[in-house]
Amino acid sequence: MLDSTLSDIEARALSAIEAASDAAALERARVEFLGRKGALAQIGKDLGKLSPEERARAGKLLNSVKQLLEERFDKKQTWFEEQALRARLDAEWLDITLPAPGVRPGALHPLTQIQKELEDLFTSLGFAVVDGPEVETEWHNFDALNIPPAHPARDAQDTFWLENGCLLRTHTSPVQVRAMERFGAPLRIIAPGRVFRNEEVDASHEHTFYQLEGMMIDRDVSIGHMLYFMKTLLEAIFRREVTVRLRPGFFPFVEPGFELDIQCLLCGGSGCPVCKQSGWVELLPCGLVHPNVLRAGGIDPREWNGFAFGLGLTRLVMMRYAIDDIRLLQSGDLRFLEQF
Amino acid sequence: MKFSCNWLRELVPGLDLSPRDLTRLITMKTAECEGVEPFAPWLEAVVAARVLSAEPMEGSHNLKAVVDAGPEYGTRTVVCGAPNCRPGLLTAFVPPGVTIAAGKHIRSVVIQGVESQGMLASGAELGLNRDSAGVLELDGVEPGSPLPGCPVDHIIEVDNKSLTHRPDLWGHLGMAREVAAITSLRLADPVRGDLIPSGAPAWQVDIRDFELCPRYSALVFENVTVGPSPLWLQARLEALGLNPISNIVDVTNYVMAELAEPMHAFDADLLHGNTIIVRRAEEGEEFAALNGESYRLSPSNLVIADQRGAVALAGVIGGAGSAIRPATTRIVLESANFEPANIRRTSAALKLRTDASMRFEKAQDPVNTVRALARAVELFRIVSPGIRLAGGLVDSWRQAPPPPPIELDLEWLERRLGRPIGKEEVRRILESLSFRVEEPRPQVFQVGVPSWRATKDISIREDLLEEIGRMVGYDTVPPVAPLMPVRRPWVNEERLFHHSVRQMAAAQGFTEVSNYSFISEEMAARFGFTPDEHLRVSNPISSEQTLLRKSLLPGIHKNISDNARFYGEFRLFEIGNEIHKREGRQLPLEAPHLMAAIYTRGDGSAALFELKRLAECLLPGCEARPAEARPYEHPARAGEIAWRGKTLGRLFELHPRLVEQGRAAILDLDLADIFALGPLPRKYVPLRRFPTSEFDLSVVAGLRVHCAEIGARIRDAAGALCERVQYLYSYQGKPLPEDRQSLTYRVTLGAPDHTLSSDEVGTVRRNIIAALEAAGFGIRQ
Ligand SMILES: [Zn+2]
Repeated sequence: MLDSTLSDIEARALSAIEAASDAAALERARVEFLGRKGALAQIGKDLGKLSPEERARAGKLLNSVKQLLEERFDKKQTWFEEQALRARLDAEWLDITLPAPGVRPGALHPLTQIQKELEDLFTSLGFAVVDGPEVETEWHNFDALNIPPAHPARDAQDTFWLENGCLLRTHTSPVQVRAMERFGAPLRIIAPGRVFRNEEVDASHEHTFYQLEGMMIDRDVSIGHMLYFMKTLLEAIFRREVTVRLRPGFFPFVEPGFELDIQCLLCGGSGCPVCKQSGWVELLPCGLVHPNVLRAGGIDPREWNGFAFGLGLTRLVMMRYAIDDIRLLQSGDLRFLEQF
Repeated sequence: MKFSCNWLRELVPGLDLSPRDLTRLITMKTAECEGVEPFAPWLEAVVAARVLSAEPMEGSHNLKAVVDAGPEYGTRTVVCGAPNCRPGLLTAFVPPGVTIAAGKHIRSVVIQGVESQGMLASGAELGLNRDSAGVLELDGVEPGSPLPGCPVDHIIEVDNKSLTHRPDLWGHLGMAREVAAITSLRLADPVRGDLIPSGAPAWQVDIRDFELCPRYSALVFENVTVGPSPLWLQARLEALGLNPISNIVDVTNYVMAELAEPMHAFDADLLHGNTIIVRRAEEGEEFAALNGESYRLSPSNLVIADQRGAVALAGVIGGAGSAIRPATTRIVLESANFEPANIRRTSAALKLRTDASMRFEKAQDPVNTVRALARAVELFRIVSPGIRLAGGLVDSWRQAPPPPPIELDLEWLERRLGRPIGKEEVRRILESLSFRVEEPRPQVFQVGVPSWRATKDISIREDLLEEIGRMVGYDTVPPVAPLMPVRRPWVNEERLFHHSVRQMAAAQGFTEVSNYSFISEEMAARFGFTPDEHLRVSNPISSEQTLLRKSLLPGIHKNISDNARFYGEFRLFEIGNEIHKREGRQLPLEAPHLMAAIYTRGDGSAALFELKRLAECLLPGCEARPAEARPYEHPARAGEIAWRGKTLGRLFELHPRLVEQGRAAILDLDLADIFALGPLPRKYVPLRRFPTSEFDLSVVAGLRVHCAEIGARIRDAAGALCERVQYLYSYQGKPLPEDRQSLTYRVTLGAPDHTLSSDEVGTVRRNIIAALEAAGFGIRQ
């Protein structure tokens, strides 16, 4: 009798769970069957009337039905909750292809980027990055670099002279002397910066451009050592193996002086307009520091020697990005600058 | 400097390299070649031809000429307009299909009914000289043979800059010596010293300043015939870009191109007296030069003078009054040596650069003067038959002691070169370049320098390292990393700081620009800057470059105007140096500044606050303080940025009259001052263990009161318990009167050791209100 009532309740409850179409209907069914005044509670009350043996058996049976129903109710409830969450989240759909609000990030000037890159490279090789003034004394820009007054080499550098007898530095080389004065030997420095030449501006000539000077002074520095640094530098810049050639070049502040050419990266050496059909591009004037320059910097050339080089940063930037008009770099034109 | 391959081959017998290979070797071992070009390649096809008949053509100056052009071209009919075209003339014939000088292409054409099967050419048309008055007149060759003395040549163009230190390479012999050393061939010196006559000179020389003229040599010639040079001589000069003038002048130029010694020929009958005086010019001395110009000289210029006055500007240019003329029969041929710096100064001061001055300023070899005379004697005899020397050599010089030999330690040489090199190879290289090598001690050479390298070029062992290095080839030196102690390099904190500012500005949406250091006077005036406060450029090329910027503003302003054509809104910044002039000859102060700008078409207020935020990113907790506006600033939107007690820059809107359309807000910070303050000191404050209390206050104030001022009053009045005063918002409108606004602040209080009681909070609140009311502010309940 009790058994059949219980199985009847179980069947009805299961079908009510099945039939519940939302969380509220399920809750109503739970109250109906498992609530304090529900069908199973009612049977529990009746158990007291049974014999102890009967009670034990019936109690067990009741518990098993109750457990089963609780499980089923919970399961269905969880399902409803998940459904509800899913629906809520779905309603929160966003179009992530909309543009982000606020301001777009700006760009760094390509000359800044290449300077930073080379500063990091040389710092990793133990070089200090030093600055020098853009307005220089004639002595630092010329005389100390073994270019006395009336030296024909001054012709090669059209100079902006200033009313106070100073000048706008025509190269970053005066920083060699300033660094020697400040730090003495041994010395490993680079000096990137702005330089000036008094010439007419066109697509390939600027009166304002950027160079990077480098210098190493130690004991017994050789041409082979210089070549090692030049090759390391070029491979870092171009991120590939480069073929270089070293040939004589005249710069009064080095002896011997060299021009370091790299094999044209555009044509691979077979000749093209960029390399003027020669297969080589002149990139790095360099050399062993002239003893007179060491002396001017207060360093004893009998004890110390070194190498120095100058890299045209503006030229390098133009090569790297195939920029065809040098004037763009100082134009402030955002249509150009935003590309970097 | 141009070099003729044919000439080099004459001086280096057996040289068997293509012009291209020769050019590459010179570039790799000696000096940078800019290129190699064939000279007059059409000469390959041009032949001598004899005019058989020449008949006038009706209605024109043209002649119908029949010529014998030799076995290859046979008898041809050509139409020729040259006045010297006549039967029997031997001239140059250009067959059809050939392109000659100036790109002129020769075709068979019918002229006035006559088919012209080629062309008879003038020297100018063939690029051999400047004579276009008539067709070439040849002799001594058969029709059909190539033009005598004019083989096709190749011209190597060497970058003058790479010859700055090499006086000897301003002549073919110097380059030939290099080529001979490179190719291990023998150099054929064209100079015959035995041609210098002995005996009493017919002229005197009086050098008054041996500093400026270490040597003056001369020869006197008579029975001179002046006329055009032979074609081969004209062609050779023309190939090098030198203008053929007359046989006498051409020889001086030829010797200069060969031996690098500039020479000058005077008409001896136009000189007064028979003494050459070498002296400084007198102040204001007038000199009429060969080029038709007149120069006013000063004692810094050296002149060659006769009894009457200057006849040449020493080492630069000859005088008009004593120049060679067709009637000249006697000449004084000068071959001298001048001090280079003085030549350069004179040539720069007078803006007169000549082939002579370019050579002398490189420090020519005084030994070379007599050699050049000997060479000229030989050539004069060819170009002016019958010429005679009058008297012996005129020569005055103050001989300097020979330079001491250079000690070359071979072990040092290897260490510097970075590779081993045999002693014999070193000796061979040096000797091939005419150095004298002795070995007084094992592994140490004593190296004597030839006179033409000793003037300026070579004086120390490093110079010899270059000679050996370039000849063995630098490509034989292996790149090797040096071994040396590890040392942490000095860190350029200031530069790193600038980089971090750039990074930050870019991250905040600003794009970096780079502007010139120059501004024009007009730009300065536009911003109310006084031009005289700027450092001035003495030699600007354009009016855009007359002043050095003492603010980044003019450049940034230009960027704003330029970019406003393409964008309705943009942000940009620059980090660059302001240049502030100082007294006298001192270097100016270079102050690195950051200038950032926002351009919008809106009312501009948001831009100003966005820049304030940029300043706060850089200077956490900085203040913008009201300040008097400068002429270029919006009078009601200008202030200064202060941080840690220092004024570090300005925040303002550009005066609207400086912006055509839209608004531009500017932030200008002195990065040197900011860097000098060092990093912001940070100290940890223990976290509060007891809860804080907060309340809001709405303060009624006038419309132009500063938010920060009220905040500061609240903070002061709140006393020690004050943790934070935060501005929330402002309100205008009912029920406030029209000239009032309310500003709402949130005050947060707390104590380190207990939770505040409501009494404590109430007391602080009353104190604040009392203080505000005392200062004339109201409180909105
Ligand atoms: Zn190429």
